Amino acid sequence: MLWIKNGIVVDPKNKINLEKMDIFVKNGKIVPESEIKKGDCKVIDASGKLVVAGGVDMHAHIAGGKINTGRTMRPEEMRVVRNIAGKFRASVGRVLLTAPAIGYEYAKMGYTTSFEAATPPVSSLHTHEELDSIPMIDKAALPVFGNWHLVFKCIEEKNIEKLKALVAWAIERSKGFGVKVVNPGGVEAWMYGGNVKNLDDQVPGFGVTPREIITWLIRANEELGLPHSVHLHCNNLGVPGNYQTTIESIKLAKGFKNEKRQVLHVTHVQFNAYSGSSWRDFGSGAAEIAKLVNSMDNVTIDMGQPIFGHATAMTGDAPFQFTLHKLLGARWSNKDTEVETGAGIVPIGYLPNNPVHAVQWAIGLELGLLTESDKVALTTDYPNGGPFTEYPYIMAMLMSKKMREGELKKVHQYVQKATNLPSIDVEKTLYEVIHMTRSLPARILGLENKGHLGIGADADIAIYNLNPLETDFSNGFEKVYKAFKVAEFTIKGGEVIVRNGELLKEVYGRTFWVDARKKVDLEVVMQDVKNYFQYYSLQLSNYGVEERWLKKPERLEVV
Amino acid sequence: MIIIKPKIDFEVSVEAELTPELATKSVEEVKKFKVYYGNRIVELGELFEIRKEGDDKKLVFEGDFSRVKWIGTKMVDGEIVVKGSVGANCGAFMKGGRILVEGNADDWLGIEMAGGEIIVKGNAGNLIGCAYYGDAVGMTGGRIVIEGNAGNYIGEKMNGGEIIIKGNAGDFIGTEMRAGVIEIHGSCGFVGGDMRGGEIRIKGSFELLPTFRKTEKGWVGDVNVKGEGVIKQI
Repeated sequence: MLWIKNGIVVDPKNKINLEKMDIFVKNGKIVPESEIKKGDCKVIDASGKLVVAGGVDMHAHIAGGKINTGRTMRPEEMRVVRNIAGKFRASVGRVLLTAPAIGYEYAKMGYTTSFEAATPPVSSLHTHEELDSIPMIDKAALPVFGNWHLVFKCIEEKNIEKLKALVAWAIERSKGFGVKVVNPGGVEAWMYGGNVKNLDDQVPGFGVTPREIITWLIRANEELGLPHSVHLHCNNLGVPGNYQTTIESIKLAKGFKNEKRQVLHVTHVQFNAYSGSSWRDFGSGAAEIAKLVNSMDNVTIDMGQPIFGHATAMTGDAPFQFTLHKLLGARWSNKDTEVETGAGIVPIGYLPNNPVHAVQWAIGLELGLLTESDKVALTTDYPNGGPFTEYPYIMAMLMSKKMREGELKKVHQYVQKATNLPSIDVEKTLYEVIHMTRSLPARILGLENKGHLGIGADADIAIYNLNPLETDFSNGFEKVYKAFKVAEFTIKGGEVIVRNGELLKEVYGRTFWVDARKKVDLEVVMQDVKNYFQYYSLQLSNYGVEERWLKKPERLEVV
Repeated sequence: MIIIKPKIDFEVSVEAELTPELATKSVEEVKKFKVYYGNRIVELGELFEIRKEGDDKKLVFEGDFSRVKWIGTKMVDGEIVVKGSVGANCGAFMKGGRILVEGNADDWLGIEMAGGEIIVKGNAGNLIGCAYYGDAVGMTGGRIVIEGNAGNYIGEKMNGGEIIIKGNAGDFIGTEMRAGVIEIHGSCGFVGGDMRGGEIRIKGSFELLPTFRKTEKGWVGDVNVKGEGVIKQI
């Protein structure tokens, strides 16, 4: 039992803004005062300190084939030693971290949940093995659907029951959480050396278009009633002028409705918000996208903010990765994952004096500032945009115009004419930023017990050494940044795991997975699945992950 | 001047980042210097006998140091003399000063060095003056002289400085080289793959890749990467 005394609480889900209150924890949950015996409690004095829910990262690449290949091809990333083996596991990595380092660094920053954003269903066993070796945080993985031959077949036949059955079956087999779509149709076209350029291009070999793939998957996802919506990585990522494709894709959500959450989440929009026709007249299309998202009530986005310094581009968007490799002349790894998807990896670095990188950096912030705080989550698309350890930098930037002015002086001045960032006066409040990092991502993902401090929520709590009542967020940005960088206390499931940035205890979080099998008749798709498995490299009986193989699985059943 | 002698035959490698900076300290302080013996941290005095003679910035290693790695790492000035053989990574990231090895040197000699001089009287291993795996740039300045033979991958990604090998060398000399000079007085194998700039001079025989064109200056390439590096017979 835990009693957090006199903290200054910000809890946007429960509409609590800067109230001095006590929080009580029992059996890993937040409980009312009446349920605990104060004498038996461990007391944490949080007077004058900020108490919020543990952070929720809704889109990061933290486990699976891609990040592991990235580690293999970037030995230089592994020379930063973060922790020498002893009470805790050895952890290394500059930006591309090893599995223990990921858990430790999240915990030190007060984050307690993170979602692996893309895993091919066929390699989900690897993803789960890696997720199981990440300590400290709760996690889950999103399997990818946008380029799977079986998905194409169901859409070609216009058979929604079959598609729903396939989605439910695949999510169960991969112990996944939702429907991720990466460059729909484009990765399949890449298998023949091509890509799709707009939503109505036909996917080679199949009678489907990206528009149909997205719409049908949203329909299947909504009819199944999964906790999370379709999680879309748009077509034409990283191409100047792509903001129009993004706008068209977002409009596909019109006509769908869900009481609880959005019906389409568009991810790392920064990489999909470029105007212009080439890298020479490249600029920002963030304002148009933000305007559209603000006008719709069923779409959310996340930033994908680049951080200056080292990063590694790794996505299922294999054709984009090849373009990037040609552009930078950097190392490149490519993968064709059976009939399901592909992937690519390229090391990159964001340099402040490079006009393109400076504009990318500004676009991420524009999206964060111009979009309503209830519709944009804070991410770096780790490790594509940079390390998640720099989230406090983004938080401070969103809250301080003065800090942005200072940073704008250090970057290439092309941003002045190519983006609107210099003229944006918005300063987000602490309440909004806490929403963007806690309650909003939890709501987008459909996690009811995460991201807030209401009764019944998981006792994932972060306490920061920052008195929000006495802090001037516009001018005191350095202090804000430092405070959010190192949590004074991180509490996971009711246990104190970090104190002043020092690890105290190693815990292993749960892996969430979604079971929607009751909503469908799996038999409608099994014959097709069996036919396809004649061409897979493994047998159907060996496909997928059994629940008992996971360290701490938690099934969320859809009924 | 500090004189260091091993007390025992090492069962596993010692990782000791010893620089002439140590010679400015007292014998007691030097004895307490922390080094890795295998995966254990120990004090220098437990493994080595240490003597001090005079105040000049110089380390003298007497005996066999072929299992001691990282000697002279990041040194900026002063002098190191090894009176036997030396282990891997000797003179890595060195910025100045001088290292003299009277025996043989192991792999990774003078990795990513920026200045100073390394002289090896015996033979040297592979990967002299190149970049650590994953890094973009190798040696950028200074001078490495090997009086004996050397192994493979000499001066990979080299971007300045000079490597002179008086004996023979192995394959893949000056791969992805951008600037600087490699001189081989004996013979060697494949030379200059993906070379962009710099010069490789060879006295003996060598294997030329088909991606170099003959000009008055010598063989120029590698044309695969639009390189302007020169390979010359001297």
